[in-house]
Amino acid sequence: MRGTLIFAGSSCPALTGKICENLGMAPADAELSQFSNGETSVRILTSVREKDVFVVQSGSPKINDTIMELLIMISACKGGSANKITAVLPYFPYSRQSKKKSHRGAITARMLANLLGVAGVKHVITVDLHASQMQGFFKCPVDNLHAEPLIARWIRHNVPNWKEAVVVSKNAGGTKRVTSLADALKLNFGMVTTDKKRGTNMTASMIMNHLDGIDSHPYLDSISNQVRNNSSGPENGTAVAENGQVRPSRTVTDAQGSPRRANGPPARPSNPPRSHARAQAALSQSSTLSELDEEAELDGPEYNDQRAHEVTHGRLVQGHIVPDDFPSPATSAADASVAEEDPMTMSHASSFFAQPHALGGSGDAASSDEEDEILKNPKIEHMITLVGDVKNRTVLIVDDMIDKPGSWIAAAETVVKRGFARKVYCIATHAVFGADCLEQMQACDCIDAIVVTNSYPIQEDKARNASKLVVLDLSFLLAEAIRRNHYGESMSPLFLHMGD
Amino acid sequence: MSAEMANEIKLISGRSHPDLSDKIAKRLGIEVARTISLNYSNQETSFTVGESVRDEDVFVMQSTATGDVNEGLMELLIIISACRTASARRITAVIPNFPYARQDKKDKSRAPISARLVANMLQTAGANHIVTVDLHASQVRSHLRGRDGFFNIPVDNLYAEPSFLRYIRENFDPEDCVIVSPDAGGAKRATSIADHLNTAFALIHKERPRPNVVGRMVLVGSVADKVAILVDDMADTCGTLVKAAAVLKENGAKSVLALVTHGILSGKAIETLNGSVLSALVVTNTVPLGDKVERCPKIRVIDISPTIAEAIRRTHNGESVSYLFTHAPV
Repeated sequence: MRGTLIFAGSSCPALTGKICENLGMAPADAELSQFSNGETSVRILTSVREKDVFVVQSGSPKINDTIMELLIMISACKGGSANKITAVLPYFPYSRQSKKKSHRGAITARMLANLLGVAGVKHVITVDLHASQMQGFFKCPVDNLHAEPLIARWIRHNVPNWKEAVVVSKNAGGTKRVTSLADALKLNFGMVTTDKKRGTNMTASMIMNHLDGIDSHPYLDSISNQVRNNSSGPENGTAVAENGQVRPSRTVTDAQGSPRRANGPPARPSNPPRSHARAQAALSQSSTLSELDEEAELDGPEYNDQRAHEVTHGRLVQGHIVPDDFPSPATSAADASVAEEDPMTMSHASSFFAQPHALGGSGDAASSDEEDEILKNPKIEHMITLVGDVKNRTVLIVDDMIDKPGSWIAAAETVVKRGFARKVYCIATHAVFGADCLEQMQACDCIDAIVVTNSYPIQEDKARNASKLVVLDLSFLLAEAIRRNHYGESMSPLFLHMGD
Repeated sequence: MSAEMANEIKLISGRSHPDLSDKIAKRLGIEVARTISLNYSNQETSFTVGESVRDEDVFVMQSTATGDVNEGLMELLIIISACRTASARRITAVIPNFPYARQDKKDKSRAPISARLVANMLQTAGANHIVTVDLHASQVRSHLRGRDGFFNIPVDNLYAEPSFLRYIRENFDPEDCVIVSPDAGGAKRATSIADHLNTAFALIHKERPRPNVVGRMVLVGSVADKVAILVDDMADTCGTLVKAAAVLKENGAKSVLALVTHGILSGKAIETLNGSVLSALVVTNTVPLGDKVERCPKIRVIDISPTIAEAIRRTHNGESVSYLFTHAPV
């Protein structure tokens, strides 16, 4: 394209190369390095005077260096009399910090938007902003592209029997994104949600046991002993189950989604020697399911929305699904009350002084990161709830980014172990993969494929070892956005789903 | 609580130089504010102020550690932004070692003026006032309060010079010293010290083909049988200082030491220093030195915290800061 220069930031030379290939041009010449004291050095080696300049920069493990490099590149181009500078940010850094999560926290994404403006950006092109309201942070125009058409196309071409698949959101905040994809593919949709259960000795299943009229206290000691003997990993669920202690999870309706009118105890006449029957069902604990508890029985007859009835619960300890009678971590951990003051956990606890769930309500997925932090806390047990029927279906778990593995693994285990899904695809636009996220997801038996785009650079050695990883190429989308921008054409076709 | 009580000094420390923050807080008789600063697994910085800053006079102390310049700068910006969002009355960024200060002019085609960018970024984040020490660039300095300068907000540039003068008076006989500037650009700084001490002055002219590369050096003036004191604003890789010291020795100096405000000491600086003819390198603690003092016995450190603390106190109380340009608080 005449009068256009595309500069690659150091985070994504490969993606920029592909974009340029799509446009039939070569990336512009710039020398990016660091001085010995760590300051970033940028040298623009070609004239930018009166040119339409695009600077492509994604995220990287050294995110702050990446941002400074971008700002200095933009500033250098502005100083070099470029006509217009567009920042192309496939992954917008700090996009999760787009609101005040605690009192006196920073809205870093807004600050970054302002910094880009100060550096001299006149236009921003980005992909799947974490919160689309962020477009309002900018004084300049923002094109927030969607990877959804690309992902939908991949699903149609690569997921066997995709018409029977269910799209699942792994948290309540992400449902909007998920319903959009479900609508595009005309698929059913489900949701997994996690509730905190902090420091209580009474687990839901124990309460339920009482409701069922069964006193489980005599078993409690033996269970915990058993579990300790088995080094108490969640994987020992089967060992516990053989002891006959596994209870089915509470399922309000049967698999077909029609309310069963059953009367508590008489509903399961086949298993009076509970322990043996349950032991056989150990691996498919809740396959016996469909026990109606009192509340459900009450509103069952009147309430006719079938999908809302397909609610499955599970217990989540240290990020994994555990059998219903797994000892509550609050009872096994010596004293949880002291732990609250523990300086080690303070930094975690304090980042939640304002409970995002309690105050937020704005319904964006900004809290998924904290959710992960909590999931890992061994002292807190969670109730994980699956809404929707996924039995024997392919499940597509969708979110905007994969950073930490916890919530993905928990959701995948829930749909497989509790919902009996056949296959699980984890799908996200931004493959941030913090720490050993990719390794953990690769190791998770419940996940069959991880589908991401190349908006965020993935380390090559990591990608090579991850056989489940599928990376979709965004370069065509970005190249087309750049081309349309340069020629002043409409962007709308890029948001449409392709026919095939 | 009375209205005056509501507006007090809140000192917030970034993670780069907590030691200096503690010293400043001690001088001011206050505690460093409680904050939580951490990096997410993807290395994005997250910051939260742990106590109210509403209507307070906030001072954010952040130096820039060698190698972590961008990390420190982003954290500073996020802290300022958080305080702005939390309704602080005024936010002063205390940046003893101003980052990117050397990239202050378009010396080549399309070279970025990063120092100006940093200045603009600080203002955009919400800083109302800047306090710094011995800013490198005369360009930045000369435009400090100008409308066309880098900053549209007040900047107090403090000087390490009074502390250096005291150090020389306490450790040497000024009669016996020659103050030497290692380059023409630093001549003003060196002559100022020489004037205050009533001593001789010399200058080394150097050719510098590229940054961090030192060319040929020529001594202007006499240092024979004197203690030669090199004066500069920053010691980075120390190539210049060490070569200058060698030139001074060749010209008959009794001993050579260097007085430098910012001891950045990056790269192989420590090895270079250890193998040099310099008898001592005196730096202030504007930059965190880490274990460098242990690794290099030649390094002496002057504590700059009294000057910064006094500047904070005077800024808060609306008193003149100019006293500090000529006097170092004890």
